Formats: sequence, structure tokens, C-alpha cells
Amino acid sequence: MSVPEPQPDGGLYAARQKIYPREIEGRFQRLRTLAAWVLLGIFYVIPWLRWEGRQAVLFDLPARQFHIFGLTLWPQDFYFLTWLLIIAALSLFFFTALAGRLFCGYACPQTVWTETFLWMERFVEGSRSQQMKLARAPWTTEKVLRKAAKQFLWITFALWTGFTFVGYFTPITQLAGKIVSLSTGPWETFWVLFYGGATYVNAGFMREQVCKYMCPYARFQSAMFDKDTLIITYDDGRGEPRGARKKGVDHKARGLGDCVDCTMCVQVCPTGIDIRKGLQYECIACAACIDACDEVMDKVGYPRGLIRYDTQHGLEGARKRVVRPRTMIYATLLALLVAGLAYTVTHRNVVGVDILRDRNALYRERPDGKIENVYNVKILNKDSAEHEFTISVSGLPGVEIAYSGPTVWVGPGQVQGVPVRIRAPREAIAGGADIQVNIQADDTPGLRASGRARFIAPTD
Amino acid sequence: MFGRQPVDEYAGKLRWPRLGQDVAIVAWPSFLVASVATMVCFAFIDPLLVGNDDYPPPAFASRMTGYAVGFFFFWLVSALSSLLTLYLVRTAHPEPPETDGAAGHGVRGRQ
Repeated sequence: MSVPEPQPDGGLYAARQKIYPREIEGRFQRLRTLAAWVLLGIFYVIPWLRWEGRQAVLFDLPARQFHIFGLTLWPQDFYFLTWLLIIAALSLFFFTALAGRLFCGYACPQTVWTETFLWMERFVEGSRSQQMKLARAPWTTEKVLRKAAKQFLWITFALWTGFTFVGYFTPITQLAGKIVSLSTGPWETFWVLFYGGATYVNAGFMREQVCKYMCPYARFQSAMFDKDTLIITYDDGRGEPRGARKKGVDHKARGLGDCVDCTMCVQVCPTGIDIRKGLQYECIACAACIDACDEVMDKVGYPRGLIRYDTQHGLEGARKRVVRPRTMIYATLLALLVAGLAYTVTHRNVVGVDILRDRNALYRERPDGKIENVYNVKILNKDSAEHEFTISVSGLPGVEIAYSGPTVWVGPGQVQGVPVRIRAPREAIAGGADIQVNIQADDTPGLRASGRARFIAPTD
Repeated sequence: MFGRQPVDEYAGKLRWPRLGQDVAIVAWPSFLVASVATMVCFAFIDPLLVGNDDYPPPAFASRMTGYAVGFFFFWLVSALSSLLTLYLVRTAHPEPPETDGAAGHGVRGRQ
């Protein structure tokens, strides 16, 4: 026989078959729809919010400043982002240990946008069976129109998504004006198309394959599971042996379990798996199979929950333990990190100082016998109000400072460079010494900062 | 066993062609890594200050150009690394079949 056997892994050349998830209603699907609306709403609305005359949330990359409502972050504040990422990672651990892949099912952008694209597909092409029929049908005018309408909705929505995304980085009202007058800059155009294109391909075509082949979290999430993690699971003991039966027949007498083998749980699955085979890494925990099975159980008059959120211990009849060392440790760490971040953000020092030596001369000997060094003092005001600063110097006996004017004004979110001359008596110093330059806002005692600088003098 | 067959309409058909899968698993993880690398890099480096002291105009015409060039550079580099790793994985001899089970067990045990 020369006919090759089908590959157990699905074959090297087998084309992927499109999955048409059956539409389903139920409590978990209502929850997911709500989550999608809230998250998408946040994403699409935030760039339009205003705060004190400017865009409330703007990651102004050209100016290297991030505005988040009243807060302005600078490159120096980068550690906040690191901190935030650690909190995000720990939250993922916490929620995964608690209830499996909640993130995948309810909050992952891939899931949320795929769901939105599915809604549009259903709106134009109808239910699952209508979609499958349409796919098999010849290219009639109606099919062309329906497909074109779907593509129009998808592309418009994807472009709007790209536009919104860029609107986080460039003022969105200006961007909208530029798009209307077709005068966007090359990078703005590129990123709108790039992000819009990524949305279109990810949510329109790749869909569950992103979760199955590309997502690292799908592969390592099981390492965070334990026997007390809530997962979506099929109650093997109650359901098996599965099989069809006539209404009103006592299935237990005939040796059947509660599963009527209607395959609804498979038909509604957006990743096309059979939950009855146990926990699989393809499962994104969307709970569609729970809703589908509950509906069927209601119809045939069996109790709900043949497929349900349960723990391994729960399935084995043992006690469920949501509060356990693992979740307690994660929760405590998470609370500490969030509290720490909140404290640091609200109590951070909003002024900074940088002292740069003048490169042209090491030092100058003045006629009055003092040594003079020249610096450029850069005052950084990260506050949202303008402040008046006084510069002073310390660290050497008799050291003094001279600069233009008694004080320096620095506007909100501005850096002001001030040339200063620092003088010290010759006898106080030989070779070089470290000095400290201090800035102090005149109106707010707490607003001060200092930096070190090297003062250079002749060695004799 | 009774009642344990998979639902054949779906089983085993959900893969996409290997080439597409390869492109995806090279491009996607490197995209994620490149995004993080770009953030970290440009938190510390201002693209306008990148350049050669002796030949003043800076290397990038604007910050946005610098960020974009940096991002695609990181993406390219990490994609090359992913590609090499994938190549090594794909061209390696398969794991030897398990020998601790019954005879013939290992042949299908290899995925």
C-alpha cells in the first residue's frame, strides 16, 4: 500500500478548516458580552477624554512625556512601568491559580476583538448554519453582497481601531482632522494601517489559532494550576456513558449517564475542542460549553452543571478551597505592590536636577584668588504648575554661586537650563572635590532636589 | 470504549498548513519581545541624541522615525533568533520512542 497514513498530528498539508462557533446565550455569555463592551468602551472612549485643556491620556512620544489624567510621567519614571508590568504578571498568576484562564475568556484583546468580529459576521451572514451554507453556496449576487458587506464592516472597524490606537500617541482630535483632510504624517498613516491590519488579520482570520499556536500563556498556564483551581470541566462520572436516548426513558436503568451526546458543547466552542476529553490547552475558558450544556440539561430535565466551573478536588467529591496558601501569598504580594505603587506615584518627587560641567574649560583662576568652575544646571519641573526655583551650593567651605537673577522660573512639564558659575577659595581645595547643587521651589518647601558635581581646581 | 469516540466532524482538522504556523510562531513571539525591548530601550535613550559627535545631524530625522526604526530593528533581530531556534527544533531527530511501555507503544506515542 502506498497510500500514506493520515498523520496523527493532523497532517502536514491539511488545510485549516474554519470554525463556525454556534451562537449561544446564557449567563456566562452575558458576562462575556458585558466584559467586551466595557473593555472596548474603555479603549475607544479614553483618547477622547479631556483633562485641564489637554487630552486626558496621551502617551506623547515625540515629547517623551506620558500624560495620564493629572499625572505626567517622564522617561525617568520608567520604573513605574516596570512596576506595573510586575503587578500585571502577578495578577495573571493570582487569577490563574484562582479560576484558570479568566483572562483568556473575558479580557484578552484577542478574544474580545474576535468576539466583536464574530458579531459582525453573524449580523451580516446569519447563524452558524446559514454561514456554513453560504460558504458552500456558489458565488451568487447575494453571496457577493453579503461577503462584501461583512468585509466593509470588518475593515471599517479595524481602521477605526488603528486610528484609536494611534490616538493614544498623537492628539486624537488633531489626528481626526488630519484624516478628514487626508494630511496625516507618514508614521501616523503607517501605524494606523499597521494596527488596523493586525486587528483585521488577528480577529477576522487567525482567531483561535493565535491562542492555539502563538500564545505562550496557553502553554504555561497549567503550571499555575493546582487541584483547587476552578476550571471549566465536564463531570465524567455523571455524564458517562454518554448516548442519545428517547424522552422519558429512565436512562440510568439503561446504563446511560447524563450526557445526551448532542455535541452542542463542541459546536459552540470557538476553538473547536471537545471539553468532554478533559482539560486541553486550546480551551480559552469562554464557558460557552457551560451555557450550551445548561440549556440542554434544562430541556431534558436533568440538573444543570454537567459542564461547570469546578476544581479537581470538587470533582473528586472533596472540599473546595479557594482560600489556600498559594492564593493568599499571591493576594498579599499583589496588595503590597499596588499599595506601594499608589504611594510612590502620589508621593514622588516632581522636581529633578541635572548638573553638567562646561566642557570648554576645567577651571578659571580669578583675580580675587578664587577658583571658578562653570556648569549648566538643568531644572526639571514635572509638576502641573509653574514654580520659581532658587539654586544653592554646598559641600566646600566658602563655596558660592553666581547665576543670572536671584531665581529661575520653570513652567509645568518643562526643563530649564541655567548657566551657573561656582566659586571656591583656593585654599579650600586642591585638585578636585565633590560639591552638591541644590534647587528649592520658593513657594513649596517640599519641592527640592539636589545633585552632585565635580569641582576642579589646580593641584598645587 | 463505548461512547468515547471523538466528534469526527471536527477532530484533527484544525491545523493550518505548517508554513503559516511557522511564520506565526516566528513573527508573534518576536513581536512581543520587540515591543518590550523598544519600550525599555527608548525609556533610556532619546533617539534624537543618537548619532556621531563628529558628524552632527543626528542619526534620525525625528523621534518618531527613531522609535519606528528601533522597533523594526528589534523585531528583525528577535525574529532571526526565533527562526534559528525553530529551524533547529524542526530539523532535529525526533525523540526516541518510549521503550518502557508495551511493544509497539512508542510508534504512535510520538507526536
